[in-house]
Amino acid sequence: MLKYVGKRLIQILILLVIYIAVIFFLLHAMPGGIKAMLTMNPNLTPQAREAILHAFGLDKSLWIQFLTYLKNVFTLNLGISFSFYPTPVWNIIAERLPRTILLFTTATLVSFFIGFSSGKSLAWKRGKASEYVATVIGVITYTVFTPLLIFVFIWFFGAYLGIMPINQFLNPDLWLKTNFTAQTIFLYLLLTISLVGAAMLAAFAVARKVSHKVKTRKIIFYTATAISSAFAVFWWAVSPYGIYGADILWHMVLPVLTVAVVSYAGTMLVMRDSMLETIKEDFITTARAKGLPDKVVRDKHAARTAMLPVITNFVLSMGFVVSGGVITESLFSWPGMGMTLLNATLGKDYPLASGALIFTGIFVLFAHLVVDIIYAFLDPRIRY
Amino acid sequence: MATKEIEGALESPLTIKMKLAWRSFKENWKIFSESKIGVLGLWIVIIFAIAGFIVYPILAATVWKPTLSGMVSYDPVTGYDFTQMLNPAPPSLHHLLGTDPLGRDVLAQLLYSTPREFALGILAALITVFIGTIIGTVSAYYGGAVDTFFMRLADLVLLFPFIPFLIVLSGMIQIDLFRLALIIGLISGFGGITIVLRSQAMIVKVKPFIESAKVSGASNPYLIVNHIIPNVMPLSFLYMMFNVTGAIFSEAVLSFFGLLNIKMSWGLMIYTADTAGYIVGSNIGHYWWLWLPPGAAITLLCGAFYFIGRGLDEVVNPRLRRR
Amino acid sequence: MSAVLEVKDLKMYYSTKQGMVKAADGISFTVNQGESMGLVGESGCGKTSVSMSIMRLLAENAKIVGGQILFKGQDIVKLKEEEMNKIRWAGIAMIFQAAMNSLNPVYRVGDQIIEAILAHEPDVTFEEARERVAELYKLVGLDPKRMDNYPHEYSGGMKQRAVIAMSLACNPDLIIADEPTTALDVIVQDMILKELSKIQKKLNMSMIYISHDIAVIAEVAEKIAIMYSGKIVELSDAVTIFKKPAHPYTVGLMSSFPSIHGEKKKLVTIPGEPPNLLNAPDHCRFAPRCPFATKECWEKTPPYEEIEPNHYVACFHPQNLRKQVSING
Repeated sequence: MLKYVGKRLIQILILLVIYIAVIFFLLHAMPGGIKAMLTMNPNLTPQAREAILHAFGLDKSLWIQFLTYLKNVFTLNLGISFSFYPTPVWNIIAERLPRTILLFTTATLVSFFIGFSSGKSLAWKRGKASEYVATVIGVITYTVFTPLLIFVFIWFFGAYLGIMPINQFLNPDLWLKTNFTAQTIFLYLLLTISLVGAAMLAAFAVARKVSHKVKTRKIIFYTATAISSAFAVFWWAVSPYGIYGADILWHMVLPVLTVAVVSYAGTMLVMRDSMLETIKEDFITTARAKGLPDKVVRDKHAARTAMLPVITNFVLSMGFVVSGGVITESLFSWPGMGMTLLNATLGKDYPLASGALIFTGIFVLFAHLVVDIIYAFLDPRIRY
Repeated sequence: MATKEIEGALESPLTIKMKLAWRSFKENWKIFSESKIGVLGLWIVIIFAIAGFIVYPILAATVWKPTLSGMVSYDPVTGYDFTQMLNPAPPSLHHLLGTDPLGRDVLAQLLYSTPREFALGILAALITVFIGTIIGTVSAYYGGAVDTFFMRLADLVLLFPFIPFLIVLSGMIQIDLFRLALIIGLISGFGGITIVLRSQAMIVKVKPFIESAKVSGASNPYLIVNHIIPNVMPLSFLYMMFNVTGAIFSEAVLSFFGLLNIKMSWGLMIYTADTAGYIVGSNIGHYWWLWLPPGAAITLLCGAFYFIGRGLDEVVNPRLRRR
Repeated sequence: MSAVLEVKDLKMYYSTKQGMVKAADGISFTVNQGESMGLVGESGCGKTSVSMSIMRLLAENAKIVGGQILFKGQDIVKLKEEEMNKIRWAGIAMIFQAAMNSLNPVYRVGDQIIEAILAHEPDVTFEEARERVAELYKLVGLDPKRMDNYPHEYSGGMKQRAVIAMSLACNPDLIIADEPTTALDVIVQDMILKELSKIQKKLNMSMIYISHDIAVIAEVAEKIAIMYSGKIVELSDAVTIFKKPAHPYTVGLMSSFPSIHGEKKKLVTIPGEPPNLLNAPDHCRFAPRCPFATKECWEKTPPYEEIEPNHYVACFHPQNLRKQVSING
């Protein structure tokens, strides 16, 4: 297991270096790239131009430039943002990356859960009218132009029903009199969610160790989850931060819904196909012959095995989901990596734009690694 | 003498080839037409094509001709309507889908952009398929370091945050429709398509007819071009459909953010309305004709090519077929 | 001797786009307590359809359209799915055709056997079930330590043994072994079959062996039924079938297989192909391939009759045809 993770880690690192190289050569070394941008000003004297080139190391050979760039990325030295002068790019990214991670992770879990369970039922009830309807809806949400979907959501929930906040990360009126920043609250939120998640994971592991009966395991797991969530809610309720945390979460609902709706169908369609393949396998017939209830055959045997290709496919669709995330963040004004990237580009803030791009890639690669490790846990053929 | 007569009596090889192609087309068409979703996609594409390539030129030359008084112009880029008091105006008899904030006819913009979307999507997809087919077959045929290199590259391209990259790139160079097609086509040509075509080419590579062609002295490039590529072509064609979807979607997103150097497109129509403040807050329901028609057009055309792809999938991958 | 399983005039049809496929068309046989029966026929003759009907594991387009399957006197055709689930494995267990793929790759082999035990005997604790699996492993000749391995860590023969152990897990009254050893090499095949037969005798279970290979069946089955095109054409005890085969198809089958023990003789192949079960004809289905077919055979289906005590044949010309065949061959 450790050997496998180590191997994947090295592969990911190599991919990361190639990724940085690609970005470097496409954005920096290209004619019209950063070099031209920096020296475009016609009022610059030749000496000043030289000085700028020297300051950025652009007078050195391309190879040396790349190595310097690589070193800078790994030491998080990404330069100074133009638009937030003199804040270093890394500080901005460090502030915004967690927001994207929270949004992306929540949306991913929701969409995976919906896609997985609906794909499972679709394959199990093949040929029914519900299968046809769900497939059509899935294909529509899969191909919908994301901004269109967001407009429809904003119109329906925000304008028509008027129950959802729109176009904001938080409600500014509420935050006027506070002496702490939204970032503090946000980090507390993230910490709470991680702790509850860790508690659930621990409960799951303990339940597996303690009992072999599915029922007992479920009781242990759900009790632990309920207790830790209740504790978290209680803490937020009594603390003065409660309402602010709730405000941020409330503003997160629509963005999460959007990313989930856009990406669930991919999982659903692949799960359906994979499940249909798995059902034909002999071990499913064996499981039925053993006299196991229909549900157990479906969930424990068919779905559990059919899940593996879905996870592989999920890795491949990550780029797609991240792109959807960029659109979602900027349309809902969720100040994460996607919005930063877009605004930096529009504001000609090149260091921030390329820094954000690099870290979007690192984020995708890291997510890839996480999914790979999960996959190894699920497939014993890889584990050993 | 005799052989000549026989040759004359026989059909020429070309006619036989044509006949065979026609027969296999008919068979495949039968399978394809059984897939409802594929046929639906084909119809949507045909309707868009008719609207963009036939209806628009006719309308532009007749109903939408600039009036002599110069009061109304239906030009999608520089058009205006001085008889209109307020812009954007809701749909009316003169403007079936209303006008945009600059007084231009929404329907004219919609139709005008259609052929451009087709051109972009198909050009990008052709480049992708061209590169992908060559790299996929070459990797499969030669194997070794070439294979490893291109497969790792494909892994990377698959994970590449494509839209974010295009956004940042657009800030550095001017991207027009042609350049965009080129960039999308080039990058995705090294992506997932090579993996799929490589595995297909691997299957073809070990078939006996390749062996016999080799024995009869065919050179490697000849083998790849004449024997392997024709056998992976159906799959290439299938992936072309998915790439058209991807290209049109990317263009729409970029022009929606106002990052492309183009005069008019569906994405740009929404951008214009958005920057003028008509899609913010409660305005969104009032000015539906500014975002719904172009948004729906993007969705439909992207969806249509995806549908065709899924329909073709059943032709190319027999395991998906229902017996 | 009490009958564990009585199949009476079983009819199971598949509905396909091209028409009805009569995979089992009037099958009748009885398996007694402790008895082992062999079901032999070419591939595609409906053997597996019979076993799947008994387990009630039918494909969506398959249906039992007539007949009865009495398991200890109870007609399981009419049972509800939940009631049937109680009979599966606890009453009738199965060893599947493709043992290689009968084990779920993502679970430990031992756990998959324990799962079956706990599903039928809720009072048994996990530890007790584990002990039982360990005993079963010893019984089939596997190291109990291997319980915690995954299927991909087993060899083909080990998987086969594990599948046999799994079939024994709930002490079933009847085990259906559908081509239990086809995927293995001949030596292992022979060994496993002999062990299986030994276990069956020791536990006094009933057994149905299904195979295309009459030589394999002959070693383990007391009673043999020959199937052809969805029908049983001959049924008798193993000795009679071998000494006095009455149906031309049985004769052909026996000449198609080399015998390791017997004298050298020329192998005879049955000309023609197995029939298409789709839209089966009204006349004797073997007639097109039968060297002895007369006009009568082309006109009606021969009745399934007892030509001598415990020897059932469906043929208009039932006789010991051995001599004529060897001349023809």
